[in-house]
Amino acid sequence: MEAWIWSATLRALAFGTPILLAGLGEIYAERSGVVNLGVEGMMALGALAAFAAAQLSGEPFLGVLAGTAAAAAAALVFALTSITLRANQYVAGLALTMLGIGLAGLLGKPYEGTPLANTLPESWFIVAALLLASILWFFLQHTYWGLLLRSCGENPETADAMGINVYAVRYSAVIFGGVMAGLAGAFLSLAYRPSWADGITSGLGWIAVALAIFSAWHPLKAVAAAFLFGALYHLSYRLQAYVSPEFLKAMPYLFVVVVLSLSALRRGPSGAPEALGTPYVRGERR
Amino acid sequence: MRKAVILAVLVLLGALGLAQGDKLKACWIYVGPVGDYGWSNAHDQGRKAAEKALPWLQTQYVESVAEAQAEAYMDKLVKQGCKVIFATSFGYMDSVLAAAKKHPDVIFAHATGYKRAANVATYMADFYQLYYLNGLMAGALSKSGKVGYVGAFPIPELKRHIDAFALGVRAVNPKAKVLVRWIYEWYKPAAAKEAAEALIADGADVLAFTEDSPTIVQVAAKKGLPSFSHYSPMQRFAPDEVVSGQLVHWEKIYIDFLAKVYAGVYTPKNLQDVDYWWLLPQGAVELGGEYGVPINPKFIPALKAKVVNSPIFGKLSVYDLVLKELALMRDDELAFDPFQGPIKDRKGNLRVPAGLRLSKGQLESMEWAAPGVVGPWPNEPK
Repeated sequence: MEAWIWSATLRALAFGTPILLAGLGEIYAERSGVVNLGVEGMMALGALAAFAAAQLSGEPFLGVLAGTAAAAAAALVFALTSITLRANQYVAGLALTMLGIGLAGLLGKPYEGTPLANTLPESWFIVAALLLASILWFFLQHTYWGLLLRSCGENPETADAMGINVYAVRYSAVIFGGVMAGLAGAFLSLAYRPSWADGITSGLGWIAVALAIFSAWHPLKAVAAAFLFGALYHLSYRLQAYVSPEFLKAMPYLFVVVVLSLSALRRGPSGAPEALGTPYVRGERR
Repeated sequence: MRKAVILAVLVLLGALGLAQGDKLKACWIYVGPVGDYGWSNAHDQGRKAAEKALPWLQTQYVESVAEAQAEAYMDKLVKQGCKVIFATSFGYMDSVLAAAKKHPDVIFAHATGYKRAANVATYMADFYQLYYLNGLMAGALSKSGKVGYVGAFPIPELKRHIDAFALGVRAVNPKAKVLVRWIYEWYKPAAAKEAAEALIADGADVLAFTEDSPTIVQVAAKKGLPSFSHYSPMQRFAPDEVVSGQLVHWEKIYIDFLAKVYAGVYTPKNLQDVDYWWLLPQGAVELGGEYGVPINPKFIPALKAKVVNSPIFGKLSVYDLVLKELALMRDDELAFDPFQGPIKDRKGNLRVPAGLRLSKGQLESMEWAAPGVVGPWPNEPK
């Protein structure tokens, strides 16, 4: 029994890791007031860049670097359109997802069907994700810079009036979101399943977006949520011998619906940043 | 001057058209990305090989076509001049028939389907013989007596394969179990990985699967467990752990079919009964995790060490058993078949009477579970 729980916990953590990493990035972006639905696309680009760099150089750490850089570059494009050019964030994000998946699929053709020579252990990423979550929580809730970031998401006009450069803060948060999505992608192609294939992200980016809402934009709650999601996902295969697989397959999603409805019923603020999804225009009233 | 240029362009275009007129244009529709390293990739390899082998062939493909959109894509391909269309997913079945009705001059061929028409043929390269041989090896290599199988969907095709696999496992390891988990996806690396991890956690020490990526081969290799490659040569992903597997040669069917179309044997009027069900004798499938390597040499000593008592050959090693049965199944006479009666299902009902085999129709509609299969089995007959 002990071994059973231990192995289930480990798998839950491993499956939760890419969701947690990308979800933390999305929490930061959304806390600054920008919804980036392009997580899936950034993750795919990150996974490809990580794999390509690791394969060509033989050095998986270079892969991590390349993965985060590529996803950050994609996030920069999104920031440019949604923050500076004030395009609709939702549409720009969806476009980024499609662009990222398509571009990664196209550029990744030469790498298909080749295993990665030097891989990274899953456990490193798991530990890194847990550490990052606590650091990011502390930064967001207990530092001056975290306060700046949150105020840009709650009330950018006031933040601006106080001399904060709202654009700079939002740019950094979105690009940081890209770095985290790239890290999640690097985990997938360097550790979780060390190879590249079109569609390697298979919807994990979307779960990460859901995670941000699900965890009420709180980095520590995100850890619990990612772990829970990972556990449900793992158990949906583990328990197949006893429970109908169709039902188990629907479980994680059913669970999200139930919890989201419950949290909507709760009194008081939902925890969503006040200015979430609204492009900021200097000198204009909302 | 201008007129002369226009004339020259027209002549050139006409010449191009004529040059193309000799060519037969065949088009493929894939359900997944061609880079999936599984099903769609295998079909695309077949397409490339056919194009190479047939100088008069011109090809085109569309990938990742959802089943609901298949008909629209087929209309588009017909407009682009495709004379033969290969629809390579079971779920395209009704779209193929609808499109075939709209375009009676175009030849359609539907992989894995069973509905035909005057201009719709069906084709399949099936693995059940190979799965049985894989099962023999898996049974010989399992120490825990638990062999894991990750299945995509609980449909007759997979049930046939898993049953053949389980019969093989039990033939050399009569008490062994085949633990089955379903992921309800054809291509989902993350799901395949977690399902494989769940099987390993439950004690499985040999893995086989139906999913279009080498994920499970990699998961097993990480734990040092033997596994079987599926569809594409995956031994290169785990050179020390992949024992064998199933490889497909769709080009054998494609070249045969297209040559007959080109020669006028197949026309859009006479395909009602054209159904390819190609197995080992036709060379449409091959045993192994790498082309030309039926059994990974690393596992030959272990397979030679395991001696069993075969009802046909008497006492011999599993290695010899695999090779002998492979030779028999390669033969046109089909002197051996995995579903050779008497076979009972896991509930004890007699499914194949003694001395009989299953017909193609019975194989294609198989819903029962072989003895030793443990796990959910939707639509299992009472």
